[in-house]
This record gives sequence, structure tokens and C-alpha cells, in this order.
Amino acid sequence: MDLISWITQMVDGSFITIKLFFIVILFSLPLGLCITFFYTSKNIIIRKITGAYILIMRGTPLLLQLFFVFFGLPYIPFIGKYLTFDRFPAGAIAFIFNYAAYYAEIFRGGLLSIDKGQYEAAKVLGLSKWQTTYKIILPQMFRVSLPAISNEVIILVKDTALVTAIGLTDLLQVTKTIVNRTSNIVPFIVAAVFYLIMSYILTLIFKKLEEIFAF
Amino acid sequence: MDMINVKNLKKSFGSLKVLKDINFDVKKGDIIAAIGPSGSGKSTMLRSLINLEKADYGDIIIEGKYLCKKGIYAKEKDAKQICSKMGMVFQHFNLFPHMNIRKNLITAPLLQKKDSKAKINELCSEMLNKVGLYDKINEMPSNLSGGQKQRVAIARALMLNPDIMLFDEPTSALDPELTQEVLNVIKDISKDNMTVIIVTHEIGFAKEIANKIMFMDNGYIIDFGNPHEILDNNKNERIKSFIEKVM
Repeated sequence: MDLISWITQMVDGSFITIKLFFIVILFSLPLGLCITFFYTSKNIIIRKITGAYILIMRGTPLLLQLFFVFFGLPYIPFIGKYLTFDRFPAGAIAFIFNYAAYYAEIFRGGLLSIDKGQYEAAKVLGLSKWQTTYKIILPQMFRVSLPAISNEVIILVKDTALVTAIGLTDLLQVTKTIVNRTSNIVPFIVAAVFYLIMSYILTLIFKKLEEIFAF
Repeated sequence: MDMINVKNLKKSFGSLKVLKDINFDVKKGDIIAAIGPSGSGKSTMLRSLINLEKADYGDIIIEGKYLCKKGIYAKEKDAKQICSKMGMVFQHFNLFPHMNIRKNLITAPLLQKKDSKAKINELCSEMLNKVGLYDKINEMPSNLSGGQKQRVAIARALMLNPDIMLFDEPTSALDPELTQEVLNVIKDISKDNMTVIIVTHEIGFAKEIANKIMFMDNGYIIDFGNPHEILDNNKNERIKSFIEKVM
């Protein structure tokens, strides 16, 4: 196996890793925000259901959830055949639902940190509930949540490697195959450097975001 | 017409009765200072007027309209309309920390489409000049001193052109040396034909600007009237001892 071929394979694998990463971020952040709203809802039934969801997502291994979606769902009687996913969508679904639970808890922490005086000031200034939420509360919530979100996003970069276990040809899977074939340790080091660079770039981006939204 | 009428107002937090039977009227242009010991219900009384606390019983009438009638509140939309005649300033300023000073002032009038954006910005400059902070227009609240924050909070409330201004211990969170600048601004406002109710521990200031003093204790208004009668040589032992302590 020549150098050019393993480099192109690793580049392809990186693209799958990056694609998975962005899709998960794109869907899990808004989903997490929705879950936060459900979890802070006045309706006790909605609150209980959301609480159970968060407990399950945070209380069971992500790897199990991956297996559950990819290998498990198709075995459900009657509806299983509609729940059969390819490797990539299966991986994305498991990650999105898992990470959304963590983001929801981070956002909820952000909400709790906001002084009730902010709500009162908005009320006496005649802002509606919706205006208060999106003009006053959400921007402050995001700002407070940024460091924790940053942490979670960097963990996601590395967690994406778990999809190797369901046979998706992400960076780690490709690397492992090349190492096996070439009996060479270098691909592992290259992959490590790739994850490191991605984490570093994200660290820089979040630092910048924290500066921009500082108050 | 009176600006505010309050009748038989009662309010409890759990088993703690905070307001027991509050009655008073506010005339246009009145500057009322509510004084009294901590826990006497002054702040709760003030917050009830602008619907931040829900009374359990009684009437609250703002400019002739019932915010609350025998403990039953107007519909949310009507309540909002009734309360829009009032502005409020809090002990802890409650500026929006993620917005600069200009945005703090213009956000509410813009959202309510009070006027064109240009007019609102013009008003913003005018109000900041009034409280002497025009040079801070692009600063973030975190870069301001406590006294400056409170002056901004006052300007922000004035942006909505209220008929009545409510101040809830506006200088209690400030260093003594920053208190005066805020009191000066309140003094200015009280000359503008504004109706003001201020909950305060600054008895000297109350005496200086108020035309009426409301003395509250233990959920009741003990005395309400002329500052001289209440603050100088009061016969009531409770009031006398309080004033001797704080003066």
C-alpha cells in the first residue's frame, strides 16, 4: 500500500469525521435549547418526560446508544423496518440525541444564573414574554454557557471516533485499517495530530467567541 | 383625578403577612417618600403597584383604571397597558449587562414601536444628557460605577415617558459617596411635574424633596402626610424612635 493511497484514504476519513461533527453540532445545539425549554416548562408532565430523557441519555454509554440505533432499532417488531439506518445517519442520530441532552443541561445552568431582576426590569419596561426571552434572557444564557459548551464541543470531536465501532469509515477506522495493513505506527500519529489540530482550532474559536460576547 | 388609589391592600408570603391593610391616595405631582424599618412592607407595597407582586386582596387603581379589584387582577394585556404609565428603578439597577448603554435605553421603546428609530435615538441622547452620562453612551454597564448604573437605569425608565416613577431603595446598594449623584438626578426629575414614590432610608433626602411621607411598620401605614409633622417632634413613639435612630 503506497503512501499516496493511504493519505487519500485518511483525508476521506477526516472528511467523514468533520461532516459528522458539523451535522451533530448543527442539530444538537438547537435541539438542546428546545429540551431546556421543555425541562423548565410549567407543565409537570413535559418536565418529567424531559427529565427521563436526560437521565437516559446521560446515564447510559454513548457506545450503547450507537449500537442501539444502528443494530438494535431494526429488530423492533413491526416498525423496525422503518428504523433501519445507514451507518452515517445512525451515527449522527445517536450523537445528536446524546449531545442535545448535555447541551440542554448546560443551557439550563445558564438560565439559572440569570438574576430575577432581569425579568423584572424587562417586565416593567413593557417587554412581552417572548421579547424578554430572545432579547434579554437568551443572549445572557448563551454567554454564560459558552465555556461549558466549548468543553462539550471539544469532547465531541474526539467522541466521533466511536462510530468506528459501527463500521463507519471515519478517520479512526481508516487509520486502524492502514496500520494493520502496513504494520506502521505513523498513521496513528497522523490521526492524533489531526484530532489535536481540530480541538485546537475549536479552542481558539470559542476563546474568540467569549471575547466577542463578553460583558 | 388621583394618580393612584390603594384600598385595603393585603399580601402574604406563605404565612407571613407583609401588607395587612394598606390604604392611600396619590395626587398628580406628589412626591412621596415611603420610610420605615426593614421588613415593614415598603418594597412589597411599591412592587404591588406595578404588578411585580400579586396582592391577595384589595384595590389598586392607576390613573382611574383598576389594576386589581378586590384581589382580582385585570387581564394580562390590560394590566400591561395600565402599568405602562409607570416606570420603576430597582435597588440593584437591573441594567441588561449584555447591551451597551444606548441599547439598554432604546430596546424597550423600539420593541414597543413608540416612535421612529431616529426619534428614539434622539430621546436616548437627551435622557443620557439629563442624567449627565452622555459620554458613556457606548460603554457596557460593567464599565460603570454603581451610581452611574443607577442613573442609566433612571434614564432607561424615563425613555418610556411615564407619568409615575417608582424608586425601590435606589441608593441602598451604593457607596455613600455615590449616593448623592443619584439623589440629585431624582431631585431633578421630581421637579418635572412627575409623580414619584420612593422607598428610601435617606430620611434627610426624603424631607428635602417629598411633599408627603409615608411611614410604614409591620404591614401597616402608621402615618401619611406632611414631612414636618411626621419627621419633626412626632408624638408616636414608634416613629419617633425610628427617626432618632436613622437621623
